[in-house]
Amino acid sequence: MKQQDLLIEVDPELLIDQEYLDQLSNFFAVYAAYMLGCGATCIRIKKNLRRMANAMHLQVDLIILSHHVTVVCTDNSTGLNAQHIKRIASVGVSFEINTRLSELSWKVAEHKLTIDEAENVFYRIVKHKPMPDMRIMLLVVIANASFCHLFGGDWGAMLIVAFATLLGYGLKILLTSYKWETKLIWLLCSFVSALAAAGFTYLPITSTPDWAISASVLYLIPGIPYINSISDCLDGHYLCSLGRLVHAFALTVCIALGLTAGIMLANKSLIF
Amino acid sequence: MDSVIDIILHLLGDMFFAGLAAIGFAAISHPPTGVIKFCGLIAAVGHVTRTCLIEFAGCHIVLASLSGSIIVGIMAILIAPKLKCPPETFSFPSLLPMIPGIYAYHSIQALAMSLTAQGEKSFEHWFYLFESNGLITALVVVAMVIGQMLPILLFPKISFTSTK
Repeated sequence: MKQQDLLIEVDPELLIDQEYLDQLSNFFAVYAAYMLGCGATCIRIKKNLRRMANAMHLQVDLIILSHHVTVVCTDNSTGLNAQHIKRIASVGVSFEINTRLSELSWKVAEHKLTIDEAENVFYRIVKHKPMPDMRIMLLVVIANASFCHLFGGDWGAMLIVAFATLLGYGLKILLTSYKWETKLIWLLCSFVSALAAAGFTYLPITSTPDWAISASVLYLIPGIPYINSISDCLDGHYLCSLGRLVHAFALTVCIALGLTAGIMLANKSLIF
Repeated sequence: MDSVIDIILHLLGDMFFAGLAAIGFAAISHPPTGVIKFCGLIAAVGHVTRTCLIEFAGCHIVLASLSGSIIVGIMAILIAPKLKCPPETFSFPSLLPMIPGIYAYHSIQALAMSLTAQGEKSFEHWFYLFESNGLITALVVVAMVIGQMLPILLFPKISFTSTK
């Protein structure tokens, strides 16, 4: 077979120069960094990126580590490639960002947006203002009290859990605004909630103190990282899966330490 | 034995509180506007499925959680294309009311007791409780996640084109 037969004929208008490839690669890397930061699964990030890249006749490959993501973009018709490494954005879990960025990937794939327009839309999406903290706190307080009821707690236990959650979640908002270390925040919030819940079990308002204490810290459980970790493992992204699992486990250990310390300080008899 | 009305009221209460719990936990994960109420609905159906299986069919909590989470996953991929959201937006918060918090708490409690236990017998007793509660906690969490992922993996076309 002659070498000429192996060359693929490409429409010259579709040819991508190195500068444009760099811009695309950078956009894809920032996109992946925000998707990872907002709690998207690896399989979704991979599919979204490939959707956009395929529409431009590019190949995209991802290396996801616990703090960074590397994106390599290759134009198979010319052999040009570009790669960018980005730090995973610390935006916190947000399904709003996840959903809007997934929508954006379809618009790019269907050529409804140019890459410059896509970048503008992207930055508007990631700057989206979340629900006010106070409204979330109210919903979390109700959710945690409901959790207590599901475990078999009585109305008194639900009241205790609501109060303990209010204190703990309020502290979480405060410490997060001061940008404290996440694990320390989890430890302190768990301690405060458990201390409040265990302290209130001295009052004769509940016959299910265990249920009140166990539910008081559940708002801190890193459910999404645990779920994502198993989902990534099922998709074969073992490194990312392990990173997310260890992070979630570290937070769980902080919750357990805070819980034990809080109970021991307030009401030792609940453990011993 | 409870009357039929008592059973229905118990199940409605279970659905109501599971729905409330899911709505609160959905709020933490900042979902798109209008999605939260569906998280509550899916969680209510998933949780009551688990409750029915445990209380009326005598199912083990791990198997019941797996079944409940499959229901959650199926409902999520059915609703996701209508609201143009990824199914995870609904299924992840809806799973959280099924977290085995009491087992997790008892395993931590038993670990603390085993660390301060006097003598081999006492240590073995508390460490056994730590292992048994910890194992159930871990298996329930894994079953929940696999259950809700199954419909997403079995129907990738619906799951990954829902935001189109």
